[in-house]
Amino acid sequence: MKLADFGRFSNPALLILSSLAEGPKHGYSMMTDIQSMIGVRLGPGTLYGALSRLEASGLIEALPAEQRRRPYRLTTSGAKALRQQLALLQKLASTGLERLAAQ
Amino acid sequence: MNLRTWLIRLYPPAWRDRYGDEFEALLEECLHSPLDVLDIVLGAIDAHLEITYGTNWRLMDMVNKLRTGILMVFTGYIGFVIGGLSFYGLVDDSPTVPLMKTDIPLSIAWKTVGVGAVVTLLAVVIGVLPLAFTIIQRVFTSSRRDLRWLLVPLLAFLAFLVYGLFIAAIGNGWLSIHGVAQRVSPEDFPVGNRILLGGLFLVFVLGAISSVFAVWKVVSNAEATGIQFNLFSRPTHLNIYQVAFIPAFITSLGMLLMLVAALVFGWLGGSALPEWFRGNQGLLLINTGLSYGITIAIMTLSTFLAFFGLGRAYSSRKRHLAS
Repeated sequence: MKLADFGRFSNPALLILSSLAEGPKHGYSMMTDIQSMIGVRLGPGTLYGALSRLEASGLIEALPAEQRRRPYRLTTSGAKALRQQLALLQKLASTGLERLAAQ
Repeated sequence: MNLRTWLIRLYPPAWRDRYGDEFEALLEECLHSPLDVLDIVLGAIDAHLEITYGTNWRLMDMVNKLRTGILMVFTGYIGFVIGGLSFYGLVDDSPTVPLMKTDIPLSIAWKTVGVGAVVTLLAVVIGVLPLAFTIIQRVFTSSRRDLRWLLVPLLAFLAFLVYGLFIAAIGNGWLSIHGVAQRVSPEDFPVGNRILLGGLFLVFVLGAISSVFAVWKVVSNAEATGIQFNLFSRPTHLNIYQVAFIPAFITSLGMLLMLVAALVFGWLGGSALPEWFRGNQGLLLINTGLSYGITIAIMTLSTFLAFFGLGRAYSSRKRHLAS
């Protein structure tokens, strides 16, 4: 499943994958990491809506719970999907910037 | 119940089973503003819509829906029994009884109700027995706390029995209450006797509602879905809700048949005996037409509930079989 198939959760899913690229994290760590990374705070409902989809599609996997917090980590296919998506965004960013510079 | 618990309860049970604990731990740290509350409500709606879930808990939700659908059918049946008893009370000893000897269509309508009652009762017994066996087995082996819920139907039955004996004691003259006559007739039916009989009906209805609630609670907690047994030395798994689907289907059809027959009976009986319909020979000697209308309303609502549950069970069963 592609991230684009996640509907309104595709952007949050990308942010979660980017956060997990650093290593396993639980929900609250992901929220604070994403906020410090790009200044966007994901709401709890959005975070878990995206998390459940990522887990269902095998892009992330749950680790054993630590007390009541459960960490998640990227799977191989999750890392691949993140790489593809970031490459696409990189291409989009460079093309957009080039076009703006040409104006 | 605090706000966190209430918000988590908005999510589907299968979702809560999987994510409930960790989600609650997250909310303890980050539930700060009304926007967070709104975000969670939207997340819960999304979880109910089940747009992209390909996980096992999607399957669990289907099983839950199948279970709820089947329970709705049998709950509808209990409501229909209340309506059916009221219908029987209306017809019994009424002028329609001698009329049925000569009016064949009226007699056929009445017999159809009777046949429907027998068929649905058999279907309910066949559908409910494996369910009851599995649930009770589950309650005794792993969730004994739920035994207290199973006491509710017993207590409801006892309450009905005690109340019935109390009325019988008055009828036999062993007890006397001021304002309540030992014998009544359509011409002399004191308010005290009406209240007393109305109370019996109320005890029955409240007992039925509380029993249904208790059974729903036990079934929801039990999470039992199947029976394991050996068939010709091969281990076999039987999903009790799948098995109950066909009896639930027959029950719903039987209820619809009885409802139509009761409508036809009322139409034929009301046309042939307009004075009976306009008179006060309904339950507790209220207006016959009004009593009939209430009865039909109860039967219609119960049938609607059963078909709603059947539709729900059918769609989840189909998706369950396809997955």
